[in-house]
Amino acid sequence: MSNNNTRFWDRMQNLDRRYIYIVVALAIIIPLLIPFNSKTYITEPVENLYKKVDSFTDREDRAILMCFMHDASTMPELFPMEVSILRHCFERNIKVFTICFLPTAAPLIDYAINTAKEVGGFDVKSGIDYCNFGYKPYALFLPILLGMGEDIAEAVETDSEGRKVENLEIMKDLKNYNELNLVIDFSASASVQTWITYARVKFGANIGAGITAVMAAENYPFLQTGQLVGMLGGLKGAAEYEKLVDIFASNNVVFSKEIVKETWIPITDKQIPYQFKIARIGMNAQSVAHIMIIVFIILGNIGYFVSRKSKNKELG
Amino acid sequence: MKRQIPLIIVIGLGLLFVIHTFVPHKISEDFYEWWQTWSKAISPFMVLLGIMSLFMVHSTKIKRKTANWQYSFVTLGGLLITAFVGFMWGTREGTPYMWLFKNIQMPMSATMFSLLAFYIASAAYKAFRARSVEATVLLVAAVIVMLGQVPLGAQISHWIPDTSKWILNVPNLASKRAIGLGVGLGITATSLKILLGIERKYLGGD
Amino acid sequence: MFGTISNIVAAFLTLCIFSFLYKDNPFYKFAESLLVGVSMGYAIPLVYENAFIPYVYRPIFLQNKFLIIIPTLMGVLYIFRFSKNLSWLSRYPIVFGMAIVGMFVPMSLNARVLVQMRSTMLPLDNINTILIFIGVVTILMYFFFSKEHKGTYGKISNVGIWYMMVGFGASFGYTVMARISLLIGRIQFLLGECLGLIK
Repeated sequence: MSNNNTRFWDRMQNLDRRYIYIVVALAIIIPLLIPFNSKTYITEPVENLYKKVDSFTDREDRAILMCFMHDASTMPELFPMEVSILRHCFERNIKVFTICFLPTAAPLIDYAINTAKEVGGFDVKSGIDYCNFGYKPYALFLPILLGMGEDIAEAVETDSEGRKVENLEIMKDLKNYNELNLVIDFSASASVQTWITYARVKFGANIGAGITAVMAAENYPFLQTGQLVGMLGGLKGAAEYEKLVDIFASNNVVFSKEIVKETWIPITDKQIPYQFKIARIGMNAQSVAHIMIIVFIILGNIGYFVSRKSKNKELG
Repeated sequence: MKRQIPLIIVIGLGLLFVIHTFVPHKISEDFYEWWQTWSKAISPFMVLLGIMSLFMVHSTKIKRKTANWQYSFVTLGGLLITAFVGFMWGTREGTPYMWLFKNIQMPMSATMFSLLAFYIASAAYKAFRARSVEATVLLVAAVIVMLGQVPLGAQISHWIPDTSKWILNVPNLASKRAIGLGVGLGITATSLKILLGIERKYLGGD
Repeated sequence: MFGTISNIVAAFLTLCIFSFLYKDNPFYKFAESLLVGVSMGYAIPLVYENAFIPYVYRPIFLQNKFLIIIPTLMGVLYIFRFSKNLSWLSRYPIVFGMAIVGMFVPMSLNARVLVQMRSTMLPLDNINTILIFIGVVTILMYFFFSKEHKGTYGKISNVGIWYMMVGFGASFGYTVMARISLLIGRIQFLLGECLGLIK
């Protein structure tokens, strides 16, 4: 019986990895096909970023800059964040600018803006309510980052449609980081640290991060020092921000911790468009997948210890 | 002279940048504006390096008929067709160029990275072993953080997200800060070495 | 109709990449090669429109700023990077860009070192900040390899190892979440946009 047990665990240890891949695929597919409601809990870094963005409501002399520093490979994590923040800005009449320094990010900006605009039915106009600076070569990342500290129009020159930035209506009352006071960097790399090192140190700009979960743990020191105003970490951060926009921005309500605690938004609610709850739907699959990974770790370790014990018995 | 003149340029301009960081005078601002304008003019030519490198690697593969040399035609063909289509019909939304990007580059690029989910599951099963006390601590911390990130963790017990939050805000923060301090000092030291002409690897060649 | 064809092409290429999970095969190799080529080819017109035209062509030919010819010629020198005899010419555009390293020294020292050190030490007003201080100091002591990790010094640097293990565990937990998220995105595309099973 004991030998059978050991042989079973040896066979489990040598399981073909393709069976593992099938389990992974099913763990993702089934929760997506059968949506269920689950609570999203808001964390402090997301709350702080939301409050900072919201503080620019209806202000002509304040704007936020969203820097898209990623490509399609990290879209599942970052795209829902970008759409949520754009939706927040359009709901609350906050001027928003977008820019990218990677060629593969340029269509993602258009896609995010169009998704937020069309799904939300916002009557916002390019050059008046928002402006896409478009793609600038990566070699100009630092020159433009530093140049915006003196004069945004001079640093960027033209927007994605070829218009001179200084002539746009949205640029009224905006000159440099004193007015473009919040920069949110969406990236899968450490580019947010470049914004912190240069824009924050030299010009005092507030920096927020929309970052993949891989890099999120690295940025906690910057959150503690206040160099980062707030952070959206991975799909969870996106889900939290989606919830905050649903509760507050879409109802034109100011943030309140009490309202967040008491509010329950079911994902199956058909009134919320799919594109505005995509991260929360993904978190359901994430829950199942995390349990699956934990089970794999436990099973793998049980097999390892059983095999080791039987080998030690044979030797000794 | 082939190395000395570039080094003199780096050292000279670098020191001017150090002065520019601390001096807000108009001459300092004009210097920066001049550098910015010239950098913008140099920037488009960097893409030439990538194109040349790709052509050299794949044309060598085709010439020598190395393993899978036939796929080099696919690579070069993809490059030429995409560039041609972009120049011919523009890069705006709705053009063939954007169609190629959205239906070929975007899905494949996203899928390449999504393969990692399978590999991490396979690694979790086959490789993550609690061989020592330290490894066990690592795995326990990982499990708590994994559960703390998902709604299910909070529903099991409120201690899970609270502990996860503490792990991220205290030991994880300390660990990342210490490593970050080392990295920061390393960056500063390397930058200083480049500024003083001690570090020259970026010049390449002999 | 056109939308359906686009989705079919995207889904086919997605499945070609996924086929690598079974084993390496010609479909995967084809998709991989196509990805490299299209990615590179995609950058060329974009750089031409967004960098060459506004920063080189327009200033020289439309605004008559002929001084821009000098950095333009410097940029062209990049092509000599692969030449055996003339590669030294490519150093000039490189060093012009590298000059900004003069700014890295004071700014990275401030943001990455001084501010971080200050926050580690001040204020030590609760148990968590004290634990952070102990963690940072012990980890830095661990990485000081000029002194042998023996006796009291060894015991103290061991504390740093514990902190690092917890930190790496947290990173691993987050990494799992990141990787799974990317797969969720692709599955959402296949089930939602292609098959219409998720709305």
